[in-house]
Amino acid sequence: MAGPSLRPHVHWAQRHRELYLRVELSDVQNPDITITDNVLYFKAQGHGAKGDNIYEFQIEFLEPVEPKPRYKVTQRQLNITVQKKESSWWERLTRQEKRPLFLAPDFDRWLDESDAEMELREKEEEKMNKMKIESRVPKDPFKHLKKGYLIMYNLVQFLGFSWIFVNMTVRLFILGKDSFYDTFHTIADMMYFCQTLALMEILNSLIGLVRSPLIPAVIQVFGRNFILFVVLGSLEEMQSKAVVFFIFYFWSIIELFRYPYYMLSCIGIEWKPLTWLRYTSWIPLYPLGCLAEAVCIVQSIPIFSETGKFSLALPNPLNVTIQFSFLLQVYLIALFLGLFVNFRHLYKQRRKHLGPKKRKMK
Amino acid sequence: MGGRAGFFEVEILDWKTKKQLCFLDKVESNATIREIRLMFHKLYPQWYPARQSIRLDPKGKSLRDEEILQHLPVGTTATLYFKDLGPQIGWTMVFLIEYTGPLFIYFLFYFRMPFVYGLDERFTSSPHPVVNLACICHSFHYIKRLIETIFVHRFSHGTMPLRNIVKNCLYYWGFAAWLAYYINHPLYTPPSYGKKQINFAVIMFLLCEAGNFSIHVALSDLRRDGSRTRKIPYPTKNPFTWLFFFVSCPNYTYEVGTWISFTIMTQCVPVGLFTLLCFIQMTIWAKDKHYTYLREFKDYPSLRMPIIPFLL
Repeated sequence: MAGPSLRPHVHWAQRHRELYLRVELSDVQNPDITITDNVLYFKAQGHGAKGDNIYEFQIEFLEPVEPKPRYKVTQRQLNITVQKKESSWWERLTRQEKRPLFLAPDFDRWLDESDAEMELREKEEEKMNKMKIESRVPKDPFKHLKKGYLIMYNLVQFLGFSWIFVNMTVRLFILGKDSFYDTFHTIADMMYFCQTLALMEILNSLIGLVRSPLIPAVIQVFGRNFILFVVLGSLEEMQSKAVVFFIFYFWSIIELFRYPYYMLSCIGIEWKPLTWLRYTSWIPLYPLGCLAEAVCIVQSIPIFSETGKFSLALPNPLNVTIQFSFLLQVYLIALFLGLFVNFRHLYKQRRKHLGPKKRKMK
Repeated sequence: MGGRAGFFEVEILDWKTKKQLCFLDKVESNATIREIRLMFHKLYPQWYPARQSIRLDPKGKSLRDEEILQHLPVGTTATLYFKDLGPQIGWTMVFLIEYTGPLFIYFLFYFRMPFVYGLDERFTSSPHPVVNLACICHSFHYIKRLIETIFVHRFSHGTMPLRNIVKNCLYYWGFAAWLAYYINHPLYTPPSYGKKQINFAVIMFLLCEAGNFSIHVALSDLRRDGSRTRKIPYPTKNPFTWLFFFVSCPNYTYEVGTWISFTIMTQCVPVGLFTLLCFIQMTIWAKDKHYTYLREFKDYPSLRMPIIPFLL
């Protein structure tokens, strides 16, 4: 239907670099929006003030603009964004001094010049802060590799200790107290494997792969390996003692909670019951484990004295005597000191993770 | 500012309880902290000046004796804090006790006192010449240290707390006993490479002792005028002091060298252990000194390392 062209209601606002035009038309399909010679040509079919019709308008801009307008169609209106060629504050939108009748200020998006400047500055600061934070934490290209390795390590250890625990429990049920005496015979190989692998934990802490501190890890790994390889491993007599059962059992229960907890925290999952178990089960288990280790050492001291294993007597080219049984006595004292250090460290960790009350940070 | 600005009032508070311990009025503005310490001592005879730590801040650094009251950032009523450093002992006395111990303890083992190796071996002597040599070297080392303490060293701090001496003596005397036990033992084994090893060790020992002595003399000459300020030590005509080109604390370097040579001479693990601990301790001291030098002097020679040339 030919007739005088209908103008839609257009609201406008500006910033230092852009112009916003809001066209009051709904259900617009395929609008025709172009800019030629600094004039915006708009033509579209839509539902406006005068009903469903073709609406069109033209605006010649006050200052030069980029010839590529961007627009977004929503259900109720159409938003056009036009880039100014130069950053400046315009005193009006159109080249002509008289405002066109269909054009009105968009009070929703309107800012006066000083406010717009503040907005710009805030945006700049936000960008700089983001850059600063990003530069401080560089993107790690090996992140996934590291996570994968940690998950594998914790999984393997968990499987190993689960095997040990299940094996020992089953044998306990079947054989009762008799299972105590050949625990070493059946379990030792797996325990050797798991504890040798545990050396990786020191490495992980050393190179910063894991955030836990180095010293407690060193104390635990060396303490355990000393008992396992030196005291138990080298003396046949010790291997058939009942205390071996208790040592292995306590060690494996603790690890049953520790390794799954680490695995899940690598993936980023937290299972509250597991966290609680991991940070509470050590309270009875660590002292009991230490007690078992102490009993083991006390039992081994006479054997080392008699056989003179790992001991050095004069004369020898190094001109020193080593009495291993004496060193073991010193080690007993160190054992309880180590227990104390690890206890304190774990207690601190427990406070941190289980918290007096879980308080969410803002 | 011309002339005397009049009199100051000084109040001294306990650093922990902030209780007022004394109030001195009519203190001259050009009074030194030493004089204030003496005045405080008169009021509290049990706290002699060496025990007093006087500071501007309850937790601050102790003020030096030479500081002058009016140059301090205080008003005409100055508030100072006092901390008791505990019983003190002079450095000279400390060193004399620390070094005489090992000297005599070694002799107990060298002459094989009955309570050491049993009655059968009492007062016997070793068939190995290296054992006699070791005794001579060990004694020479400690006698040299005693002479240096009496005649050469000039200490910047007057005293140290009394409990330190128990700790230090336990360490030096204990180790001396332990290594003397093995060197003078009837079942001692002389070095595996025999005369070559021993001669090499003796030469190294003598060179390091000479070097150590030269450095101590050079350091002492820096303070010949009795001043207590720090100066950069430089190499002199003595070739042993040329180590100053490469190292901030060559006296520690030579000391470690002495003990390494003693280890080689005796081929004894306890001596090696003592050498290792000495090395660790002296590296810590050397690094400390090195960084103090760097902080105090902008033109400190950049080639120098703390204790080992180019490395540490």
